[in-house]
Amino acid sequence: MIISRFVAVLLALGILSGCSSMGVEPWERDVLAKEEMQLTTDAIEAATDDHIYFSKEASSGGRGFGGGGCGCN
Amino acid sequence: MKNTDKISITAALTAATCTLLGTTALQPVQAQEEPGWDFNTSLLYYAESDDRVQDLSLKTLSRRTFVDDRILSLGLTVDALTGATPNGALPQSFPQTFTKPSGKNTFTTPPGEFPIDDSFRDTRVAISADWEQPLGRLYAMNVGVSASAEYDYLHLGVNAKLSRDFNNRNTTLSGGFAFASDQLDPVGGVPDPLTQMRNVRDDDDGNGGRASNDSKEILDLVLGITQVMSRNFLMQFNYSYSDSSGYLNDPYKILTSVDPITGEAVPVPQIPGTEGPSHLNYYENRPDTRSKHSLYTQGKYYMNGKVLDASYRYMTDDWEIDSHTIDMRLRWPIGDDKYLEPHLRFYTQTAAEFYQISLVDDGQPLPEYASADYRLADFDAITAGLKFGWKTGGGNDMSVRLELYSQSGNVSPSQLIGSQADQDVYPDMDAIIFQYSYMFGK
Amino acid sequence: MSRVRPDRSIRVDAGDRCLRGQFSAMASPCEVLVDSDDIVAAERLTSLVADEAWRIEDKFSRYSPGNIIDRINTAGGEGVQVDDETAQLIDFSVTLNELSDGRFDITSGVLRRVWRFDGSNNIPTRHAVSDVMKHIGWHRVDWTSPILAMAPGMEIDLGGIGKEYAVDRCAGLLRNTTDAACLINFGGDLVATGKPRLRDAWQVGIEALNAQEQKSDRLVNLVIGGLATSGDARRFLMHNGIRFSHILDPTTGWPVPDAPRSITVAADSCTQAGMLSTLGMLKGAQAEAFLDAQGVQFWCNRGDGAVP
Repeated sequence: MIISRFVAVLLALGILSGCSSMGVEPWERDVLAKEEMQLTTDAIEAATDDHIYFSKEASSGGRGFGGGGCGCN
Repeated sequence: MKNTDKISITAALTAATCTLLGTTALQPVQAQEEPGWDFNTSLLYYAESDDRVQDLSLKTLSRRTFVDDRILSLGLTVDALTGATPNGALPQSFPQTFTKPSGKNTFTTPPGEFPIDDSFRDTRVAISADWEQPLGRLYAMNVGVSASAEYDYLHLGVNAKLSRDFNNRNTTLSGGFAFASDQLDPVGGVPDPLTQMRNVRDDDDGNGGRASNDSKEILDLVLGITQVMSRNFLMQFNYSYSDSSGYLNDPYKILTSVDPITGEAVPVPQIPGTEGPSHLNYYENRPDTRSKHSLYTQGKYYMNGKVLDASYRYMTDDWEIDSHTIDMRLRWPIGDDKYLEPHLRFYTQTAAEFYQISLVDDGQPLPEYASADYRLADFDAITAGLKFGWKTGGGNDMSVRLELYSQSGNVSPSQLIGSQADQDVYPDMDAIIFQYSYMFGK
Repeated sequence: MSRVRPDRSIRVDAGDRCLRGQFSAMASPCEVLVDSDDIVAAERLTSLVADEAWRIEDKFSRYSPGNIIDRINTAGGEGVQVDDETAQLIDFSVTLNELSDGRFDITSGVLRRVWRFDGSNNIPTRHAVSDVMKHIGWHRVDWTSPILAMAPGMEIDLGGIGKEYAVDRCAGLLRNTTDAACLINFGGDLVATGKPRLRDAWQVGIEALNAQEQKSDRLVNLVIGGLATSGDARRFLMHNGIRFSHILDPTTGWPVPDAPRSITVAADSCTQAGMLSTLGMLKGAQAEAFLDAQGVQFWCNRGDGAVP
């Protein structure tokens, strides 16, 4: 358990340091600016799904916060 | 080289302009940026097979953008829920009678069917408010509150998040927390865990000596990295930790106690003049703490107009539940103003350590924790859906989506006792999700 | 270069709750919005504005043979006597030259001989740039009003001031001619002379990118005053993966590093707005800090998030 947590943190740090060389210049952000390229394109749809799966399964969240707050689990 | 006094530039410029234009001082400029409004509304219909839960939900999210990129978001959701949910008891080859949670009467389940508890959930209202603003050039913060109320449940929560950009805004690091304090007011009061399901009472004390409510607290922490991988590719990595403590049971769920040889429900002698359960059932019990870890990663990839959105989440907790979720969407544009978006989701989880389909009536002490809640079992689920979106004449966005969600249990044969091997022991479920959404604003 | 006869027609029609006169000048679509129902008056006012705009264009354009600019640029070292209006514009450019520590320089136009911003790969050699730099520098100009003399091979170009100046001149004409509130817009450089009768303000759109990189045109309610925008995202060069913006620093001959994509400024007049946005662009990475210190309202697009 501790080992897998350690690996996860290392992975995160490795990604972060490797990230410093990745990316685009400000003028290359045209595609990233499109609505359909946002991480959450429809906030309500995402919240709906989060809520449905929170009510029907034992896992929740991931993308953001738990999204719970109901008497369904 | 004059390092010109910064403030005097405007004054010098004003003077020079007046000379150039031959005017005396002009009226001062009055320009005000107009805050924008954004509305996202939707109507959702959700229905499960076998007369289980049905939900009609109206959701709205209103955002007002102020100058300086400060945004206020207000959310309102109203759900009308009907139907019922399996109460954890096993189907039998004979009818079973259970006491309703209110304790005022009973209901009977026909043979061969999963007993479903008509949890008279009727209306739920949830609201949220969120404030987002940049802090300087590289930081941004978010604070929010949430609350929801239904007849037997009250939720109050706060959340906050801070994020910072690095590497020319190619990397964003964020950290946040959410704290929720929830209160349950179950119909009929809070049952004593792992006690027998009670008989019908006719005393006036609504709860017959039970506590009328209980509560739990949930703390969530999230650390995330968003990284631009290339011009067409964006990724996100999140690590979440969640800690719940307090009353984590479902007050309406029970376990059937079965004969150790036949695996059938054990009948309970009926006292003349009283009504009550026909067979032996116990209220469930779960630990009063739960801590979960999740690793989540999402990528969005643009390919010539089409966008692939794929994510994976791994969750593990101290109830010994592990889960994997893979979610994929492909947005396929049609012309300039329409799109089709197929969606596929795979989910699998292992059972909680204390999940069992039934208890055994063998004179041994009951386990400390036990639950037959189908949501804690080992099961797989698949969602398949299609969404169609278009731009209205006014330039606003509308969409409809239809999805099918299907859950099927994997109860290990070693758990099955006697005739349970020939029975359906997990309430597989299919549900239909239909949602219409309309986004407009500015 | 042969020139097509420019379109000198004007057209007046109904705008959004106002009358709108349109014409072309200074390579931009121009419009005059008049808060009035009087079509005849609107035509008269548009004509007034268009005539003044074309007058300024003809007088100060680089492309009109025989005008004062042409005579100065072909004087071959001789002194040229200029009229009052030209002298005032030159004096104004001297002030800007001082306020910008030399980065605003009307002799820098010759850099276009080596820098062609067509989105291609062709950046000039260091040699070519240092050659052309010999013909640049206000300190090389002998300006004692009203006589201007400079070495052969040097040129002056008032393009950086001309449009905003024209907007403000036309606004002055309108203020003297009518009580109606008007908005003059020459291709994005604009001024409002007063509040329209039935609305709180004129609604002007500014192209911007928000913090999430999305096009989020901002709506500005302009009651009175000027708005001007510097910058043009389409004019640039790409070389070895480095983008060279078209904002050139006349003290080096090379593009200003880290210049924003565009800056829009709100100020009492279009000229002030235009000059502040130009000065901001010339500050490169310090653009926002500079404009913050000036206490003016501005919108700065860096392509990685607009900062109002």
